[in-house]
Amino acid sequence: MIRLSNVSHAYGGEPIVDDLTLSADPGEVVAIIGPSGVGKTTVLRILALFTQPSSGRVELDGQPAWAADEAERLALRRHVGMVFQEASLFDASVARNVEYGLRVRQPWSDRLREGLWSIAGSNGTPGAVREALDVVGMGDKVDQSARSLSGGEAQRVSFARALAYDPSYLLLDEPTSDLDPRNTGVIEEAIREARDRDIGVVVATHDMHQAERIADRVAVLLGDGFTEVGPAETMFESPTDDRTRKFISGELVY
Amino acid sequence: MSLDATVHLLPALVDLPFREGYVRSIVYVSLYVSGIAVLLSTLFSIPVAIVMGFTDFPGKQVVKAIINTGMGFPSVVVGLLVLFIVSNQGPLGPLELIFTKEAMIISQFVLATPPITAISLAAITGVSDNVREAARALGGTRLDTALVVIKEARYGIATAILAGFGRAISEVGSVLIVGGNITSAGGVSKTRTLTTAIQLEARQGQYDTAMVLGGVLLTLVLTVNAIVVRFGDAGSMNR
Amino acid sequence: MSMSKQRSDSDRVSRRSFLAAGAAAGVTALAGCSSITGGQSQQERAGVAGETLTLTTTTSTYDTGLLDEIHSGFEEMYGVTVDAVAQGTGAALESARNGDSDVVMVHARGLEDEFLRNGYGVNRRDLMFNDFVIVGPEADPAGIQGMGSATDALTAIADSQTTFVSRGDNSGTHTKELNLWEAAGTEPGGDWYQETGTGMGEALNVANQQGAYTLSDRGTFISQRSEIDLTILVQGPIEGGPESLANPYGIMAVNPGVHENANYDLSMAYIGWITSPGTQDAIADYQVNGEQLFFPRAVSENPDFQQYVPEGWSSDDTEE
Repeated sequence: MIRLSNVSHAYGGEPIVDDLTLSADPGEVVAIIGPSGVGKTTVLRILALFTQPSSGRVELDGQPAWAADEAERLALRRHVGMVFQEASLFDASVARNVEYGLRVRQPWSDRLREGLWSIAGSNGTPGAVREALDVVGMGDKVDQSARSLSGGEAQRVSFARALAYDPSYLLLDEPTSDLDPRNTGVIEEAIREARDRDIGVVVATHDMHQAERIADRVAVLLGDGFTEVGPAETMFESPTDDRTRKFISGELVY
Repeated sequence: MSLDATVHLLPALVDLPFREGYVRSIVYVSLYVSGIAVLLSTLFSIPVAIVMGFTDFPGKQVVKAIINTGMGFPSVVVGLLVLFIVSNQGPLGPLELIFTKEAMIISQFVLATPPITAISLAAITGVSDNVREAARALGGTRLDTALVVIKEARYGIATAILAGFGRAISEVGSVLIVGGNITSAGGVSKTRTLTTAIQLEARQGQYDTAMVLGGVLLTLVLTVNAIVVRFGDAGSMNR
Repeated sequence: MSMSKQRSDSDRVSRRSFLAAGAAAGVTALAGCSSITGGQSQQERAGVAGETLTLTTTTSTYDTGLLDEIHSGFEEMYGVTVDAVAQGTGAALESARNGDSDVVMVHARGLEDEFLRNGYGVNRRDLMFNDFVIVGPEADPAGIQGMGSATDALTAIADSQTTFVSRGDNSGTHTKELNLWEAAGTEPGGDWYQETGTGMGEALNVANQQGAYTLSDRGTFISQRSEIDLTILVQGPIEGGPESLANPYGIMAVNPGVHENANYDLSMAYIGWITSPGTQDAIADYQVNGEQLFFPRAVSENPDFQQYVPEGWSSDDTEE
């Protein structure tokens, strides 16, 4: 479980979250929703152990993240995969991109040996890479250059890249904002697949309908540090807080 | 080239094969000195460019100013500075580096580092932050992230290295002063490069031979450029 | 218990004998090493074998090709390498002053004397000489052909304001040229006097292109004669011209008292070799385009003390 306990954080003087308690368990999808710019990315960065919150505790699988040193934090972070709004693929083949997470987790002696082998001739694609690409339907584009992909294809590869090393948790920051409906569908299907593999998924999105489709639990961020967390059905059908209800009904009109 | 000019150069061209061991040895010295200088400079400049691109430290602006000034530093002045250092009277005197290839490598290292650093820095800072973030988010260490950045910036870095190599192999001022333009009695070069050989022929008024050697130097530079570009293209075709 | 004690005893013994064997092998190896480095071939007995002599000299000396021609004899005799660095008179002496070279060969007596006086050089010998010539276009607008006085010729050139090319680089040739102007009582200047700041070969080319006069050492002129249209108008002493155009060469060793790491042994071997009758003959035999370039001076029946001390020095001079 990734857990934020009583976390407060401000950004540039503006409070983003105030006394937030949020957790994501393996095998569930948590959606973080709220208007654009409210700080969803910041919450994700706290979950990803990139940003240290001004107060509160961040734990991953029971281990406090910020009591540890940089090396221990890196080890914890390696249980997490991330997909950003922009695919940000490396200027290399699809296979090399997806393989990156696997490679950096290998000891250097193995990496050097494989590097030498690949200079001699092709290495062949590791099974985990093919498998991750199949989840997003990009298995046939293994050797294609990342630069030649369309936006949707690139984002799908970006998903496979985060999935390939079998993370325990997957964080996605507005993964389908720039995508057409077909690619959005592929990503959402892949999110379900990840959940079925017992990965804990956290998705930040401003698309309420998407949250409705895929989330098991929802955290609503409305600015000024206000948050409400709860199961999806309750949130969408009968939210407790007034502000939440206004937000949801306002949004759901569209 | 006009027929006249070709005919004029022919005797010099015919002369050259008889001195083939000579030309080969000066080409070797040129490549050896500039090659090693550029290699050492690259190993030094890339980490410097990475640090400058991604961290802030006191005096960063000063370092930037030094690099930019260094780009236009006259080679002969660098030669004089290195001479002061490696001369018997200088701090490194006991190492007896004066009139050796090693001293030439030192001065060309100083000449090549500013362009390699500056152009690499531009290429490295041109790598988008998102890519760096992704590398980090996927579990990379600082070293992994740096390697990713270097790979993303590889074309710019290759340009930087070629620029440094061009500066080194075509300069004459510093290698002449610290190297001494020495060949053995039998015509095998010890510290004579293509550029200093050209200078020698020119001062003797042998402009034709100088031109031929100039042609050899030009061919060398074009060949190196072509090889590096070829590697780049081959890499892109594999993707 | 006793069994294990026995075993450890024998272990100790075998370890000891192993060490002893190792030590014996080591000593033998070292002895073998020293016998290799102390090898007794004829050449290696010379203490300087394998070393490098750094000689600085002028560009015009080097460009004649004389040194490349004769140095292999010295190198083979001693099993050494000579690095000849052509720098120009001033730089050659500066390198020697700094201890960056071991022996210096120039043709500028005034500067050599200063070098000796300041204690930087020892064991000077006269080496060889050639001469300067005044060359110019065949048309000879200043009318200096065949003049017996170099200073008169220069005065004539200055008066007629015909273009004169000067090396302007403080080389031996340039120094000689300035001395001649001074002796002639004329200060050269104006549009007709062009200082190029280049080597002799280039200067000749420039003079050729402009149909100008210039002062050249005979050697460089001979090497380039076929490619330029200039001709010798005032001869040097080798062909009967005035002594003022003589160009004597000297050689000096860098003073080991000033620079401890100067290769004094090898410098003296070199000076001894180059002033020996055999090498002096080789110098005389050296030709460019069928002409002798240098005239040996080191070997002589008659005593010549002036070569060892600054010109005009006598034991009555007070020490500076």
